[in-house]
Amino acid sequence: MVFSSLFFVFAFLPITVILYYSLGKHFRNIILFTASLFFYAWGEPVYVLLMCGSIMINYYICTLLGRDDTSRRKRKFFLIISLVFNLGCLAYFKYFGMILSTIASIGSWSLQAGTPALPIGISFYTFQTLSYVIDVYRGKIKSQKNLILLALYITMFPQLVAGPIVNYADIESQLADRSMTFKKFFSGMRRFLCGLAKKVLLANNIGLLWSEVKAMPGTEISVLMAWAGIIAFALQIYFDFSGYSDMAIGLGRMFGFRFKENFRYPYVSQSISEFWRRWHISLGSWFKEYVYIPLGGSRVGKWKMIRNLFLVWFLTGLWHGASWNFVLWGLYFGTLILIEKLFLQKSMTRWPKAVRHIYLLLFVIIGWVFFEFTNLTDVLSFLRIMFGVGGNALIDNQTIVKLNAYASLYIVCIIAASPWSKKLALFFKRIHADIYRVAVNVYYCVLMFFSTAYMVASTYNPFIYFRF
Amino acid sequence: MRINNKKDWAIIKNIVCMFPLLFILAMFILHLALPDKTFSKEERRYLAQWPVFHFERVIDGSYETKVESYFSDQFPFRNFWVHIQEGADQILLRK
Repeated sequence: MVFSSLFFVFAFLPITVILYYSLGKHFRNIILFTASLFFYAWGEPVYVLLMCGSIMINYYICTLLGRDDTSRRKRKFFLIISLVFNLGCLAYFKYFGMILSTIASIGSWSLQAGTPALPIGISFYTFQTLSYVIDVYRGKIKSQKNLILLALYITMFPQLVAGPIVNYADIESQLADRSMTFKKFFSGMRRFLCGLAKKVLLANNIGLLWSEVKAMPGTEISVLMAWAGIIAFALQIYFDFSGYSDMAIGLGRMFGFRFKENFRYPYVSQSISEFWRRWHISLGSWFKEYVYIPLGGSRVGKWKMIRNLFLVWFLTGLWHGASWNFVLWGLYFGTLILIEKLFLQKSMTRWPKAVRHIYLLLFVIIGWVFFEFTNLTDVLSFLRIMFGVGGNALIDNQTIVKLNAYASLYIVCIIAASPWSKKLALFFKRIHADIYRVAVNVYYCVLMFFSTAYMVASTYNPFIYFRF
Repeated sequence: MRINNKKDWAIIKNIVCMFPLLFILAMFILHLALPDKTFSKEERRYLAQWPVFHFERVIDGSYETKVESYFSDQFPFRNFWVHIQEGADQILLRK
């Protein structure tokens, strides 16, 4: 089940909300847990058992870790078992096919084995589980005695399939007891609607342009078209991903949880390092806390720091998908951040703001080419078009037609990706508080209305070759 | 009297805040209440019906997919929503 489907918004969500709020405080966690299991089983009827098994194993390991009489060696042993199990599952279910084909291509063998289907959300829940186990091992948190509460933390449907990666320490107290107010519920509802609109109104529509460009034969794409297409992709992926995070944060709030922000207007950044502090924040901080800092972080010698940096970016890239282009994409950002750290840090502050911003956008957009094309030759040929090396036309009629059609959507997307709209709204709130309140209510109703229309229309499927 | 006015105002504000939720609930109830259609003239095809329960189909996921297409095919005022989307597309994308 995805959040942006009719079934989720108009059936699963109302039923869950009604049961959650009508059956009394004691049942809330049970209901949320059951709903989450149902939510996961809906898309993964078999792998739900894998997730439950993983929860029980990690629960047991952490109970052993949490005992006072466990010796240090034993604790280390338990931690290693848990790491091997969790990362082993991730490696097998997500990367087995990639490992196999890589080995096959190195030795030019033909290796054939059934590769398992990818369980939804395994990258997210594995990282959440790991953060819990490692924090218990470090003594930062106590192990959760109540299996249901631990299971609720891992399976909670708002963040289960597409993040954000919630640290156990952040919501430990909320699991057992959380305050739910009318105000919180409706602010969560609004946040959910924002995310829904980002996904179905902006991401899906601007994404159409990119899929049109991608479907064109390489010789017919003009330079401007290539840029328009990849910028459309940059906007699509931002609204898609941040829309999902908004929906997750909003849903969490509707059930009384407070999740950390996952995106903070990444495209207004002024440097690559800043971009990554604003983009998918929960993943960045996970790698920082559990990989980069344990390896010594930046407080080691220069060469070790470079090694740590590249290791983290290798893993960040790999986390995004079982394909080498993601690794390349990660290393690309690792290199850029290293260059910023070593050479540019001081001089960059003297650059004009606009120059820094263009520098950031240019490199991030080039990065998306690596992200989107799985094949290196496709990446290079697309980059060649973008920089006019392939001898493609600079601009052609088709480009003008497309740009004309998508111009208003581009403008809406760019405004929505920047904090200006929010600033403007807050400014308006200060002068006309009453009108502002009415306007906001109308705004959310409009979002709901059009999101519904676009969700229904996405399933509109006329049968063209109909004959009696 | 003034206090009462304030109270009324607060209640009205809360109801207005609730509109999206009320809308979702209303659509859900309408979905349950309205009779299922079998054929769509606009789409020139038979609409999905509530699937027959089979354990194997639940396990391989096809039952869930069918329930979702039942839900979207029988969505209240389906054609109205499609028209809204087409209109919005025309204005925004000049298609």
